[in-house]
Amino acid sequence: MIAYQVSVFLENKPGRLEKITAVLKQQQINIRAMTLATSTAGWGILNLLVDRPEEARQTLTEAGHPAALREIVVVKMTDAPGTLHDMLLLLAKAGLNVQNAYGTVLGDRRTAILVIDVEDTESVQQLFNDAGVETLSTEQVYQI
Amino acid sequence: MYWEPEIEQLSTQRLQTLQLERLQKTIRCAAHSPFYRRQFADAGVAPDRLKHIEDIRSLPFTTKEDLRNHFPYGFLTVPKDGTVRLHCSSGTTGNPTVIFHDQHDLASWANLVARSLYCAGVRASDVFQNICGYGLFTGGLGFQYGAERLGALVIPAAAGNSRRQIKLMQDFGTTAVHAIPSYLFRLHSAFVELGLDPRRDTELRNFVIGAEPHSEGQRRRIEELFGVRAFNSYGLSEMNGPGVAFECTEQNGLHIWEDCFVVEVIHPDTLEPLPEGELGELVLTTLDRQAMPLLRYRTRDLTRILPGACACGRNHRRLDRISGRSDDMLILKGCNIFPMQIEKVLMRFAEVGSDYLIVLQSRDEGDEMQIQVEVQKEWFTGNMETLENLSRKISHEVRDEILITPVIRLVEPGSLPRNEGKAVRVQDLRAPQEAL
Repeated sequence: MIAYQVSVFLENKPGRLEKITAVLKQQQINIRAMTLATSTAGWGILNLLVDRPEEARQTLTEAGHPAALREIVVVKMTDAPGTLHDMLLLLAKAGLNVQNAYGTVLGDRRTAILVIDVEDTESVQQLFNDAGVETLSTEQVYQI
Repeated sequence: MYWEPEIEQLSTQRLQTLQLERLQKTIRCAAHSPFYRRQFADAGVAPDRLKHIEDIRSLPFTTKEDLRNHFPYGFLTVPKDGTVRLHCSSGTTGNPTVIFHDQHDLASWANLVARSLYCAGVRASDVFQNICGYGLFTGGLGFQYGAERLGALVIPAAAGNSRRQIKLMQDFGTTAVHAIPSYLFRLHSAFVELGLDPRRDTELRNFVIGAEPHSEGQRRRIEELFGVRAFNSYGLSEMNGPGVAFECTEQNGLHIWEDCFVVEVIHPDTLEPLPEGELGELVLTTLDRQAMPLLRYRTRDLTRILPGACACGRNHRRLDRISGRSDDMLILKGCNIFPMQIEKVLMRFAEVGSDYLIVLQSRDEGDEMQIQVEVQKEWFTGNMETLENLSRKISHEVRDEILITPVIRLVEPGSLPRNEGKAVRVQDLRAPQEAL
């Protein structure tokens, strides 16, 4: 299944993150997971897993923030020791390079997800399907 | 007291007679170059019609644009075979400004630098450490040959590597130094890091500083930090390089060597000559250059001629400290940079748009140029690597254009400062030493 995250460009300065969350709050957009990747040159990219990604992208862009939808792979895991390691091992064996990855535990407190940001989502998707690992769409993430 | 007592003390009247004679000779020489042959024909210039040095005002100006448009050989009065060296600086239109010299020109230049150094108190007994870029930059070879001509022991230390500079100073008992003022503050920090005090641990006594704008406060601070006297040097590659105008030990204005240059100050807009004491654009004419003479060259540097006589006894008039530019040129690490050059490179990158801010600041490693550009919403993909590669590519392409590697800083759209709607292009934060 295909899922999307919203990636937002921001400067590494006090108050910048808060400007972005303010826009999302105003629009009543729910954030399930997030990660901030910073460059050494004073800027970064905020990656957000939200319930309405396209709407979030549009609202943020209108508010003046460079924002893009990025296709990602969301892997469903059981919240148990060693699961993450097994997933990463699959990727490593296939020689797939991960741009960014982050995880969170979902509402039922038994399921965890791993968000994988790669250039070639199709190959990763295929890899997990072949291994019998379930991947989720954006909507599915919010149904658990 | 003087390097060339007779020339340096010539009366104003005799100096002007010499100037007229040399100007007529220079015009005859310049007429051999394709550029001036045409310009003289168009303007009806004939050397014999000049009766007084002030008649130089009847000649047309020469501009940096002219030099670029007739790159590379349009100003040569002799075949290329007759020249022995060239120096050049970066250019806005892709063509650099290039100046050619023959043997006579180099000898004359070296003598002017020797005269300048002597005027600032440097002597044959000095150990002279030249801390500046060698190569195309005129400060390296210019001071090298000038200080050798003077008879000093010259250490061609070149730029950077402060620890090695300090070691050279200690190993060979350096007494005189030429350097860019902003570098001297970093050099002093290196002394402090090594637990040394240049006032106690070196034999330094005389500094020559120039090649970038600096204030009287910065000079005094340098003198205090190093326990030396520091003298202001003025030159530009179009007029050879260093040795055009120099402070004497009075430290009150820079004597411009009027036997070798005709000095005029004009209003930058009306182009009318301004009287002594009034601030305007400096216009210079070479009087002792053969391979590539320049007539009424608009330097774009703003200054004034200081009225009155100097206590040192030299009759060559004095220029005030350069107070700015009549164009938007920046000087960084001795390189001349126009914001337009940077703008031209940025236009190639749709990802960042055409707005930009150039920030110049002093860092421990040296003066730094930061270019802030706005990430364009339409081009943003969310990929970090793409942006990092973009920064690198912009930095490389700007470097190819201006010879200095800038730090590229990506900023959010709309965050660059604007002053009453007008974009602010340059922030020069290098001056705060004034407050030290």
